[in-house]
Amino acid sequence: MLDVFTLFLFNIIVYNIPLLYGTTGEIMIEKSGSLNLGVEGTMAIGAVVGYLAGAKTDSLFVACVVSFIASGLVGLLFSFLTVTLQANQNVTGLTITTFGVAFYYFIGNALSNSASGWPKLSGTRLDVQSQAFEIPLLSKIPFFGKALFSHGILVYLGVIIAILMWLYFKKTVPGLKLRAIGENPGAADSLGVNVALYKYTHIIIGSGIMGLGGLYMGLNMGGTFEGSNCWINGYGWISIALVIFANWSPAKALLGTLVFGFFNTLRVQNAALAYTFPDTLGWLTKIPSHFFSALPFIITLIVLITSSLSSKNKSGEPQAIGRNYYREDR
Amino acid sequence: MRKYHLVRRADARLKRTLIYYAIGILVSLIIGAIILVALGINPLDYYGRMFTIGLVGNRYGYKSIEGLLKIFVPLLITSLALSLSFKMRFWNIGGEGEFLIGAIAASIVAFNSTGMPNFVTVLLMCLAAMISSGIIGIAVAALKVKFNTNETLMTLMINYIMLYVIRYIGETKADWNFFLRDDSERPKFGTFPDSAVMAGIPIGQFKLLWSVLIALALTAIVFVYLKYTKQGYEISVVGDSSATAKYAGMSVGKIVLRTMFISSAMIGLAAALAVSSAGTISDTITNNVGWTGIIVAWLSKLSVPAVFVTSVLISILQYGCQAAATQYPAIDSNYADLLQGIILFSVLVADFAANFKIVRKEDAKNA
Repeated sequence: MLDVFTLFLFNIIVYNIPLLYGTTGEIMIEKSGSLNLGVEGTMAIGAVVGYLAGAKTDSLFVACVVSFIASGLVGLLFSFLTVTLQANQNVTGLTITTFGVAFYYFIGNALSNSASGWPKLSGTRLDVQSQAFEIPLLSKIPFFGKALFSHGILVYLGVIIAILMWLYFKKTVPGLKLRAIGENPGAADSLGVNVALYKYTHIIIGSGIMGLGGLYMGLNMGGTFEGSNCWINGYGWISIALVIFANWSPAKALLGTLVFGFFNTLRVQNAALAYTFPDTLGWLTKIPSHFFSALPFIITLIVLITSSLSSKNKSGEPQAIGRNYYREDR
Repeated sequence: MRKYHLVRRADARLKRTLIYYAIGILVSLIIGAIILVALGINPLDYYGRMFTIGLVGNRYGYKSIEGLLKIFVPLLITSLALSLSFKMRFWNIGGEGEFLIGAIAASIVAFNSTGMPNFVTVLLMCLAAMISSGIIGIAVAALKVKFNTNETLMTLMINYIMLYVIRYIGETKADWNFFLRDDSERPKFGTFPDSAVMAGIPIGQFKLLWSVLIALALTAIVFVYLKYTKQGYEISVVGDSSATAKYAGMSVGKIVLRTMFISSAMIGLAAALAVSSAGTISDTITNNVGWTGIIVAWLSKLSVPAVFVTSVLISILQYGCQAAATQYPAIDSNYADLLQGIILFSVLVADFAANFKIVRKEDAKNA
């Protein structure tokens, strides 16, 4: 019985860490006052480019670095278009998604049809490096140990990034300045903060973090390319929803990942749970899996509406989000 | 200090904009050609096939036109609808969700219409779709007006909720589910009875569907509405500055609600026409028009004639890619999406170049 719950918790983490990457990356971007709807595309590009580089050099480290750089370049494109060229953020972000997902399929199909074929993961050193390993002592803790401390390196990296980002926003001067830009770029500018530089840097880093999440998804799916199913599979969009659920806080994003991950895992494992506990959880099979899939979006919609209903403004939503900053309009 | 800075051009000349846009599109096509060459494909031959959408040397060329129009009609109407709300700076990115709601509502009518006259059924389908999509539009607008809820994120969520609703309908075998075929073991969407299938005017072998004529008429109506009516004027004032609109005595909330209803209802109409023309519904019935429509509206700078032209071009791009795939199976519809993205990126740069100029600090002082 215990095993079922441990496995459940383990699966929540294994399959939903990409959400954490996507969400923390997007939080960093949104805190600078930009709404990037290109998460799905950015993750797709980071995934495919990073994976191919990793497979070529047979190194997880190279895969991560290249994935970060590739997605960072997408972030650079987004910042160039929206910050320097004042293009509309929604349109630019959506185009990045269209472009990125098409890029993923296009490269994948082209390589699969080529003579050398799509590089395989199983049996390579890249595969070994991305495998789960047990942290000594910690993983021996009953019940939680196996679920929390026997994962691949990228799982821990995601958690570390979230914690570091939380500290960065809360405790550092650049973090404070960044939040100021997200609230009121005009005021920050008049205090001598280089708004454009801050936006560029954080959009690029945020996009890079998303790319790592994409790479994780690719590796987690055994690195096999399927012509009909994108590795990212809508996780980019759930990440955008999760940013709202987490109220723009990287620490709450950790919690939110577990909550959204819980429903995600329930969808996959409802049959197993209902089978193990026919009396108490038997009803689970009656709920259609589509409901669990839609649940993150339903919850987010409710959170979005209820938080705007309350008169007290405790929302972490940056006030200047979605609007470009053009000095002369100030 | 920075030596250069940006200045918005005082005169936005149409000719200059068009030239810059043309350069942008040309550059995108060249980038697309480089990708094709890298895959060992002759880009001139490929583009030739793509832009002629398989018409040349094809005895069944009329089928190409019919296929093109099936992509074109929903895209045109959705783009028009979205530009209405964008003009008001209301970021309705829920085109996909509104389309699906309309499609489901129209299908409910369609599946229960056996024996009814065709004209009545199609009319009822359109009305059902327009009302259901319109209600969602009004609900979103009301929340935005009353509580300033972020409309971009709200409509985004609706897109995905609706996607899972239609998948649920399409994948659940049950007694209540009249959407599915009875004779199939696996869940599969049924086809509409003849009463619900879009009719048309036969021209030789080619059949000009009524939906095409409706779309053309609607384009004209929206053009007149925006340009020559009080309501159209109000939309542009609210878009420029809602404070100005308020001082001028306009009721901003009412205008936003009304426009969002019209905008969403139009997307519902597009959906009703699409399912009726297809004779069935599916979870890919939107053909991504909710997303592509945003790109079309933006490429066209929300101008109605430009939306028309851009919709034609994007439809040719998408359908042409499908048509060329018969000759080049290695290149599928993703190439159209890729090219579409590159075109929009280039045009955004071109748009900037047409509207801003870079001035040296000293020159600006002297001027």
